[in-house]
Amino acid sequence: MLALLDAWLLAPFDYGFMQRALVAGLALSLAAPPLGVFLMLRGMSLIGDAMAHAILPGVALGFLAAGFSLPMMSLGGILSGLLIAVLAGSVSQMTGHKEDSAMASFFLISLAAGVMLVSLGGSSVDLTHVLFGSILAVDSTALVLIAAISSLIVVILAVVFRALVVECLDPLFLRGQGVRGGLIHGIFLGLVVLNLTAGFQTLGTLMAVGLMMLPATTARFWSQRLEGLIAIAIAIALVSSTGGLLLSYHLSLPSGPAIILLAGSGYVFSALFGRHHSLTAQWRRHAAPLGAPEHD
Amino acid sequence: MSRLQLHDLQLARGGQTILEHLDGRFMDGAITALIGANGAGKSTLIAAIMGMLAPVAGSVECRVPRERRAWLPQQLALDLSFPMSVEELIMSGTWPSHGALKGYCGPHYRRGRKIMARLGISQLAHRPLGELSGGQRQRALLGRTLMQEAELLLLDEPFANVDIETVDVLMEVLRDMARQGATIIVVIHDMEQLARLADDVLLLSGGHGRWVSPDALLDHHSGLVPRAPRLPLTFPDASHAGTA
Repeated sequence: MLALLDAWLLAPFDYGFMQRALVAGLALSLAAPPLGVFLMLRGMSLIGDAMAHAILPGVALGFLAAGFSLPMMSLGGILSGLLIAVLAGSVSQMTGHKEDSAMASFFLISLAAGVMLVSLGGSSVDLTHVLFGSILAVDSTALVLIAAISSLIVVILAVVFRALVVECLDPLFLRGQGVRGGLIHGIFLGLVVLNLTAGFQTLGTLMAVGLMMLPATTARFWSQRLEGLIAIAIAIALVSSTGGLLLSYHLSLPSGPAIILLAGSGYVFSALFGRHHSLTAQWRRHAAPLGAPEHD
Repeated sequence: MSRLQLHDLQLARGGQTILEHLDGRFMDGAITALIGANGAGKSTLIAAIMGMLAPVAGSVECRVPRERRAWLPQQLALDLSFPMSVEELIMSGTWPSHGALKGYCGPHYRRGRKIMARLGISQLAHRPLGELSGGQRQRALLGRTLMQEAELLLLDEPFANVDIETVDVLMEVLRDMARQGATIIVVIHDMEQLARLADDVLLLSGGHGRWVSPDALLDHHSGLVPRAPRLPLTFPDASHAGTA
């Protein structure tokens, strides 16, 4: 029995590439879910997806300029992500259109531009790599970068945490104290971009959002408190990235999709059986309403 | 003494003047009712006093430090699905003066518990805001301003969607705050509540403001609250004030 567990859970991590993949996955799992929780609570669940597309042209430019160098590609990704966020924000401010419509327009433009750039400069293999990542190809430089970005995100998030909470709940309270809501909002979007650039090496630009949003939306079925949401989301992300890696190793599956699908199955399970708002929770409520008068 | 004064204030939104030639002083320790029909500029004036809207002309002179200014928006402006408990909301009142980075210490928690007891919501301390009734939420929100030790308090329709018992508690607390010297401005629609609470009335109508005494809005003959003047109020001429 122990031997079986060892063969299944521990032996795969004898390999260096699996160790690095695991550490990268765990680092991302600590930084991404809290951002996802805030995105979800602010009703911006899809913004993460839009931002993921926005970093693509920068990544492609970095790739064209310096070949397959993660620092350059990340730098490009951060810059283009921030640029798109600022552009979308200012267009919506100037025109009075909602931010999500501006965001939708810009992310489509940047997706097309990114794919165009990669295709012009490289082969379709490169494109697949940028779009879908490969956590098993994480080298030491990439690992340091991912760990550094994740730590930075956690630290900044800790600093702006309360302001972020107030901005979600009651933006006017913050404005009344002379803090511009846009400032906190900007810092937050910056963190999202940072996290996505850290994630694209491992999961690809498109699926990096998965480790951010799925644990957060899943946690909603299990807790109604902010700390609870964040803790559960991080736990789900940790389990998903470890489990996904193991699945991909044993069953020869692509690692990124394995991780995200594992998190996704957690979501489906929670939607059915979670403690709050799930199907069974609703069913239980119909069966036994609290303190309701008895009807004959 | 008056730490909040308006000097020939002109306010506009979207290029449209909402209020002009607005003068006056809000007395320390007085509760001023801000009344007027929808669109008369009540929220605009509040935004200007909170420093969120720059005047087109004139000025708002406010000598209350920023961290002692509080404003209680209408409940609709809050995202109450956000997972936060009553105690957490009330404790957040310490942020402006204490700083948002430092942790709370014992005295903060003790004060928080005292405030909750004062407002009759001790038993709700750990309940999420989304589960509260309108009245309970309003008590919690007022608790935050107490925690903040607000010296200038602006309330936008604090008694809307609130049960009678809560109205009594809220009024009592506001009265206490005023007694300790706070300047309080309340947007109010109900004449009966106005009669109970207000020391001064600023009536906004047609882009202008007029200071009236609460008595002028009440029926002089009977001394009772008149049934007629529900909003929208027509602007009484000075010569006819009170007799309309």
